[in-house]
Amino acid sequence: MAKGPDTATRARRLLALLPLLKRGETIAIAELAAAVGCSPAEAAADLAALTMCGVPPFTPVDMIELDIQGDHVTVYIDPPGLDRPLRLTVAEARALGAALDAAGYAADSALRQALASVSGGGASAAELERTVRAGAAPGGLASLYATLAMAADEHEKARITYLTGSSGRLSERVVHPWALVNRSGTWYLVAFCEGVGEERVFRLDRMRSAERLGVTFPPPASVPLAVIPRPDELPVAEVVFAPDASLAEARTWPGATLETRPDGSTLVRVGYQTVSWIARRTAARLGEAEVTEPAEVREAVHALAAALLAERR
Amino acid sequence: MADATERLVNLALYLASTPAPVTALECRMAGLGYPERQDDAAFLRMFERDKDALRAAGLVIEVVTSEEAEAYRVDAAATFARPVDLEPGDLAALRAVASAFADDPGFPFRDDLALALGKLGSAGHAGPLATSELSAIEPDVQGPLARTIAEAVQTHKSLTFGYTNAHGEEKLHAVDPYGVFFREGVWYLTGRDRDADAVRTYAITRMRDLEVNASRPHTPDFERPGDFDVRAQERLPFQYGGRAVSAQVRFEPDVAWRAERLTRGQGTLETLGDGSVLWTVEAANLTALASWIVGEGPALHAVGPPELLEALVSGLKRVVAAHG
Repeated sequence: MAKGPDTATRARRLLALLPLLKRGETIAIAELAAAVGCSPAEAAADLAALTMCGVPPFTPVDMIELDIQGDHVTVYIDPPGLDRPLRLTVAEARALGAALDAAGYAADSALRQALASVSGGGASAAELERTVRAGAAPGGLASLYATLAMAADEHEKARITYLTGSSGRLSERVVHPWALVNRSGTWYLVAFCEGVGEERVFRLDRMRSAERLGVTFPPPASVPLAVIPRPDELPVAEVVFAPDASLAEARTWPGATLETRPDGSTLVRVGYQTVSWIARRTAARLGEAEVTEPAEVREAVHALAAALLAERR
Repeated sequence: MADATERLVNLALYLASTPAPVTALECRMAGLGYPERQDDAAFLRMFERDKDALRAAGLVIEVVTSEEAEAYRVDAAATFARPVDLEPGDLAALRAVASAFADDPGFPFRDDLALALGKLGSAGHAGPLATSELSAIEPDVQGPLARTIAEAVQTHKSLTFGYTNAHGEEKLHAVDPYGVFFREGVWYLTGRDRDADAVRTYAITRMRDLEVNASRPHTPDFERPGDFDVRAQERLPFQYGGRAVSAQVRFEPDVAWRAERLTRGQGTLETLGDGSVLWTVEAANLTALASWIVGEGPALHAVGPPELLEALVSGLKRVVAAHG
């Protein structure tokens, strides 16, 4: 059996539920569960526990009177004394700050300043900013993130300007934003691209701009959330790293396998979507890495390095 | 007898609704759920723990001291939040990040985040579809450990843990935790190593048997230096190593918009007359900076110092030779 939350944590959840219970309202338990981050079954158990709570002298009118019927609850009395939302605790302010870090909201953004105004004592927003960082999305991402989140939420088409990694060119596209996906700290947009008539994955840090178009699109029946292709669906390049080369970046290549060879060098096998991607990654090692297979990637690495050298002349 | 959770809720309701402050004894006798056959000392310990739990939930408990006893009630002004009006885009963004991190064990603060959104009245609407996998490396281990460390940072409590360094050497460390941060799938702790008397950074993935000093939980074990800022740890790959020198990189006009994204607050940006952006940044490893320029291209150019250009050209020549 899964271990439940400790007493204090569950009490926090019960106290968070109280301000949501308005006399005379019938509320979906799933909605309350979503509001406090638990399952509907846990919320139902919490509500049942709340019916046992109240204030002295604990006569029937002093108790929290709820009627739980199926997946809804009807509220008959406002919770005494705790009928308004509490200020954010330090832990909650820290959680919000960390999450918004990850979406590119700087500490001095209007949103974070507004949230700081409802935080309780114990730690200032500035102190939390100096001690906890949970993502540090690239600067300038917040407005993009907000636009795409709103478009995805309201099933509204968006026009994006996107830097294609393979060509290095900006392209303008009309997309149906389906989902925002975070992988290892990088945000991606999964969307249907009208220009190509297929789903596409876009890195937010390569998106120059996004605007909502005020036109809705039909929600898809399902959304594929695998933003990184399966390695077995891709052609494979073999890249040999010198014995003293840093392998830190190669270890982050999606699906890469590393094999140490007798001479101390490391053979990295990695699937690639575009030749230009693996060519640039290899050229960036500045001689520490050499593509051995396939020939078209070797040629691309050579061509890229030669072109960059030509720029220097 | 009420269970412990019900007792805590009863106490919260009592302290929030009482017209006048109430003493511990009054709380004990009010039928909130304190065990009847409990000695005084045990009751007082339980009552203190309960007040701490309510404070952790966000209640600010006012203490009124008189000659006879201390009395308590909720400080309404300090406890309750006033409504916050959020812009629709900000609200959608909040819901998206909350939705993404809700099921990601690698995000250490997901329970706190859910409760925070509940307080903001932002929940109850699922928001856009969003998911997250911050880390593919032991997210179930990293997330809770990072949460524990963040709490120790906040409460200034020291840590001990076993650590295996990059050379495979294992050692026990005692550390005063100053900050916690995340980078590319891994959570890190930065703090003062008590034996080395130096500020060090540790990957949480390399820790084992983490323990927080449990003695005197309300007493800080250390003072964090006033100028400590965990953001200083968010260096770019070429900023680690030896002595730093000033380097310059130019972004062509077509990619000038990428400068803010890629530079992550490091160095200074200057827009030139032709629309390109000149970035001046401290670099401790010029070969690594040359590598970074090629990797983040196209349309980024090394400007100086000469050693950077030399590192770039000689490196590219090696690439050409190897692939010719």
